[in-house]
Amino acid sequence: MKKEAFQYPSLKARMKNEYRIILAAFVFILIADSIGQIEIPLGPGKLILFPIFYALILGVLSGPEVLKFFRKKEVKAASKLVIVAICPFIAKLGINAGASIEVVLSAGPALLLQEIGNLGTIFLALPFALLLGLKREAIGATHSINRESNLALITDIFGPDSPEARGSLSIYVVGGMVGTIYFGFLTTMTAAAGIFHPYALGMASGVGAGILMASATASITAIYPDMAAELSALASTSETLSGLTGIYVAIFIGIPLCQKLYTWLEPKFAKLRHEPSEALTRKAEEKVEEA
Amino acid sequence: MRYIEWIVMFVVAGLGIGLANFVGFDVNFMDSLPGILILLGISLVAVLVSKIVPLKLPIIAYCSIIGLLVACPICPVREGVIEAVNKINFTAPLTMVGAFAGISISDQIKSFLKQGWKMIIVGILVMTGTFFGSALIAQVVLSLTNAI
Repeated sequence: MKKEAFQYPSLKARMKNEYRIILAAFVFILIADSIGQIEIPLGPGKLILFPIFYALILGVLSGPEVLKFFRKKEVKAASKLVIVAICPFIAKLGINAGASIEVVLSAGPALLLQEIGNLGTIFLALPFALLLGLKREAIGATHSINRESNLALITDIFGPDSPEARGSLSIYVVGGMVGTIYFGFLTTMTAAAGIFHPYALGMASGVGAGILMASATASITAIYPDMAAELSALASTSETLSGLTGIYVAIFIGIPLCQKLYTWLEPKFAKLRHEPSEALTRKAEEKVEEA
Repeated sequence: MRYIEWIVMFVVAGLGIGLANFVGFDVNFMDSLPGILILLGISLVAVLVSKIVPLKLPIIAYCSIIGLLVACPICPVREGVIEAVNKINFTAPLTMVGAFAGISISDQIKSFLKQGWKMIIVGILVMTGTFFGSALIAQVVLSLTNAI
């Protein structure tokens, strides 16, 4: 087995680099949880603001690009701490799943099949991306929800300088900045519309990004408090399944499907936009090379 | 990370959960403590398992699976576990996650603004499509299997 390379020479070195992050996190918790949950009526639904949002915003503001309280190396250290902090939360959801195991089992077929639904991004976002004039960036951007593992995968397949990797990185950054808040909002508005059973929304919350799932689940359990246990159980099971299957779904279905749709749709949208088609140009070039 | 680093950092996370549960929900620390210890214990076992088992799964997948196992009907300590952990409010563990996540992306503001409105729209549609795709299939299959 390969020996693990450690980030720090010792625990002391870690604490020395990270104590300010930890102290700040406690201060943010004091502020954010004192404010508490706020509900703002909006159209048919409501926007529910959670302490996690305020803490997130405080974190972003305190960084090197605004208040400059944190330095670059602290920013880097914080991403590892996200995983540490989310572990107990995921354990709590696992316990909810165990407690509501009957619901999870009776929803088994739906839980498994809805994982395929994560590919919905391709059908919704790819045509729009092409309409907006994106080219091969669109493949990286829309093939999946584009969290860490997807970004790594796309970079690995297409190369770090490829348009596909640029697209994937863009959506990764956008998702990190607005995803947590948007995902909570999306869930409450969809719940207000009343098209889907709460169980379906619970399962849809698990998209393979812990913090997005957390935000969606917090929202949906606030709307249906009587079903909180079942809903968080379904969300966590779906999230775990997405975590297990996500990368394979992307490799074997997501990326090939996205490329196929791209070569089919891109010329049509290029025509609509009165632009030369990237897919056709590339095909012609490849033909010339072969000849 | 060394085990000792995981342990110390989990203790930090546990204190964060206790603080959020007290400030936000008036649950005093001693009432939160059993639940916190259970969650941290599961997390630690998940780290241990992820280092020992050659199957490469994310640590949080192990957290979820172990959590499910200790709370499932055949587990003898089930009742106690569920009761203790129910004292921890759902969003209490999340505030610290938000704090760290915010700090970890705080050097991406300029990069975010540089993406331009097109990428922001596409990003919103990516999230929307992922969510609706799953909700749609879940709804149909739940109806077909008479689960709802």
